[in-house]
Amino acid sequence: MIDTALRREFEAALGADSVLTDPLQLRTYECDGLTGFREVPALVVLPRSTEEVAAAVSLCAKAGLPFVARGAGTGLSGGAVPVAQGVVISLARMRQVLDFDPDDRRMVLQPGVTNAEISRVAAPHGLYYAPDPSSQVVCTIGGNVAENSGGAHCVKYGFTVHHVTALRVVLPDGSVAELGGDAPESAGPDLRGLFIGSEGTLGIATEITVRLLRTPESVRTLVADFPTVEAAGEAVSGIMASGIVPAAVEMLDALAIEACEAAVNAGYSLDATAALVVELDGMEHECDEQFEKVVALCHEKGTTNVRIADTAEERALIWKGRKAAFAAVGRISPDYFVQDGVVPRTRLSEALSRIAAMSGAEGLRVANVFHAGDGNLHPLVLFDEQAGEAERAEKLAAEIAEMCVELGGSLSGEHGIGLDKACSMPEMFGETDLAVMRQLRAAFDPEGIANPGKVLPTPRLCGEAPGRYRPHPLEAAGVIERL
Amino acid sequence: MTEESPGTLRETTPPTDTSTDAESAQVPPPADESGTRAGEGPSRVRPSGLAEAADALATAAGERRTVLFEGAGTALNWGAPVAGTGLVLETSGLDRLISHAPEDWTVGVEAGMPLTRLQELLAPAGQWLPVDPPTGSRGATLGGLLACGDAGPRRLKYGGLADLVIGATLVLADGTVARTGGDVIKNVAGYDLVKLIAGSLGAFGLVARLNLRVHPLPAATTTLAVAVDDADRALSAARAVMRSPLEPVAIEWDGQQLLIRFQGTEESAAARGRLAPEVPGLEDARVLDAEAERAAWERLSGLVRGEDGETVLRAGTHPARLPALTRRLREVTEGTGVEAAVVSGVAQGLHTVVLRGGEASEHAACLTAWREAVHEAGGSVTLRRRRHGVDAAAASWGPAPPAVSVLRSLKRQFDPDDRCAPGRFAPWF
Repeated sequence: MIDTALRREFEAALGADSVLTDPLQLRTYECDGLTGFREVPALVVLPRSTEEVAAAVSLCAKAGLPFVARGAGTGLSGGAVPVAQGVVISLARMRQVLDFDPDDRRMVLQPGVTNAEISRVAAPHGLYYAPDPSSQVVCTIGGNVAENSGGAHCVKYGFTVHHVTALRVVLPDGSVAELGGDAPESAGPDLRGLFIGSEGTLGIATEITVRLLRTPESVRTLVADFPTVEAAGEAVSGIMASGIVPAAVEMLDALAIEACEAAVNAGYSLDATAALVVELDGMEHECDEQFEKVVALCHEKGTTNVRIADTAEERALIWKGRKAAFAAVGRISPDYFVQDGVVPRTRLSEALSRIAAMSGAEGLRVANVFHAGDGNLHPLVLFDEQAGEAERAEKLAAEIAEMCVELGGSLSGEHGIGLDKACSMPEMFGETDLAVMRQLRAAFDPEGIANPGKVLPTPRLCGEAPGRYRPHPLEAAGVIERL
Repeated sequence: MTEESPGTLRETTPPTDTSTDAESAQVPPPADESGTRAGEGPSRVRPSGLAEAADALATAAGERRTVLFEGAGTALNWGAPVAGTGLVLETSGLDRLISHAPEDWTVGVEAGMPLTRLQELLAPAGQWLPVDPPTGSRGATLGGLLACGDAGPRRLKYGGLADLVIGATLVLADGTVARTGGDVIKNVAGYDLVKLIAGSLGAFGLVARLNLRVHPLPAATTTLAVAVDDADRALSAARAVMRSPLEPVAIEWDGQQLLIRFQGTEESAAARGRLAPEVPGLEDARVLDAEAERAAWERLSGLVRGEDGETVLRAGTHPARLPALTRRLREVTEGTGVEAAVVSGVAQGLHTVVLRGGEASEHAACLTAWREAVHEAGGSVTLRRRRHGVDAAAASWGPAPPAVSVLRSLKRQFDPDDRCAPGRFAPWF
């Protein structure tokens, strides 16, 4: 409970202008990009430095208050949903580039710097930051660290964890620690790697050191249309089996193409059943040689049309269409859920057929836009809340994620587990696995105040999470009772 | 945990017996001078599967024995010496291929499989695991490589082994079996416990199985060599290559020459070799033929591995620190009988220092003084090998990292009785 005295302590530590208590302002923070989960926090603080974050967390630790760190709030798994009666620590004011060394190709950032900003600052030196989530213009590097974000190009370049070398973090007891080091190897276990992707449950990253890559000499991009989803899937398999490592291989189905065209007019063919966006990058000579192979492979697998981007502008437009896909779906449906499951690439066709069947059975449309190169599906479940379809849509989205696990995949490829899929974790991990994960969490946060209720399932969470009531699997099985 | 209740350990070698048991005899003794030698004391077990490994650890826990995990034995003495090993768990029986899905770019193996064996299994599919650690040719196992965080020159492009692990099965100190990650190349579900094992030198449990992302085998590689005997020039040449469009996969400097490796299609690897001399600092570079290329990289691996009688340190710093730290190394060895050699992944800031000649006390003094300089420069140092007698005069680790409280807390959670490699990180935890 936050009383007046405690609020004043926050104000004394951070300044009155950094503490929000007005109910209207607090409501701004009630949800993240997954709007189905909402909870108004008791207090929001806006620190400017590591010291201020540490001060805020220390006050939370002293009072036993749960806290949730928040960047731009673009997360799609409910990872930044506030905890009832808890504190939101917004990192929106921590937007400085603290250090940039182009020779060593590293940049030190505050967590509120946007992903795209890193590459913008690095560009004059011929450098860029590789992980590129579709929300990169808005989402922050702190959020990327929390979720171990990926993006279209991670099939070649890897995730956030492969590009962040060091972190300064505020631990849940308010102390400050450095994880990782100046080089890719540092002495002892890899706490940096452990922290990245922990969804705000092990502490808050307040300074992030990223490594930068040289901007590739050449980039070649194409869009290939296919008469069936299966044919497009075969083209993907052919490309991946050819010995080429593409920079990106994305797929859109007819409904996703329709949505993108309605929003961005990127020039995708409206009569295609499926479209692939394939990109190669690297040394010009090699890139050209391999690009020819990819074009030939697309023809071999029955493409009806190949459009090659001739200019940087055209390439940018193709990507604008792909990256706008989620938002674009808003043009063809009042509401939608973005799911984020992964299947082995060889089971993509099977997964898509099953999604189509599940969609038909539920009577809800599902658009598919995804990272085909690494099997990361993003089914967009379309619904109309006013027509009372929300609950069915949510159920369908959860079923799709659990189907991915059944096919040998994962509940999440890049959006995280958050609040949304915590209750599905037992579909992927056994009780012992989850108990060991709890041990890990307890080593960082014995009091359980850092973003509680996220990632790991508990009967309390599954029974009482904000939003619709969800019985815990043990409860459904009659093992435990809801009191 | 296995269903069976833990029984008495089935040992491959009785504690006081230097047995001629064939399986046990194949396990090489520790390669260093300061470790425990096979047959001298601790019992040894060699589980042949996950359930047996879990059973062995549960039993060891019941008997309150300390445990040392041993793969090929190439890195048994990294870090501080382990005190009082009650049981050596050999992983050589955990060496099966579990799955290989070439089209999904994934492979599942038991962690005692040697890296070289995995590469042989992947090659027919035109794939490989893109790591080239110096201990690979000595039979280093995948689990051992993960636990010691070792990597070779091509880390520059591909990262270390931990970067390629997509899932794992661990056995904790009490025999608990836990899975982490999964089987697909993109996955962020749950905590990545692999990172707890990476670099842990056996102090947090056993990795029994690994799921790995594999890559297409490059069609060709080309290596350039250029004589450079000065750290400043090595650094500036390396930076020039990194700024060029040539995309090197490895850059290493051994104090005398800079080796730069490229790979790709036959044509593109050759083209890179032809274009490289246009890069500032590489004007005199020559392309090595296949035999010279193999020999040059093997020689470098040998230097990094070190030999008995040598002390080997591995440091990580900002790449820019190389010249200053090389000068400091000369200063600390000056006037002693110690000769110091450096092998530096100069574009990554990873430096291996080999001390040879002189007295153990001189090795200890050089180690301590140079490590201090690295820490002052913001880096860290791991002691990989030491001349006999060095432990008596030098600490195995430098100052504790700022996150040491977290490490202690993790150790309490996962190995509360301090039975896995006790003392390995002393005095940190």
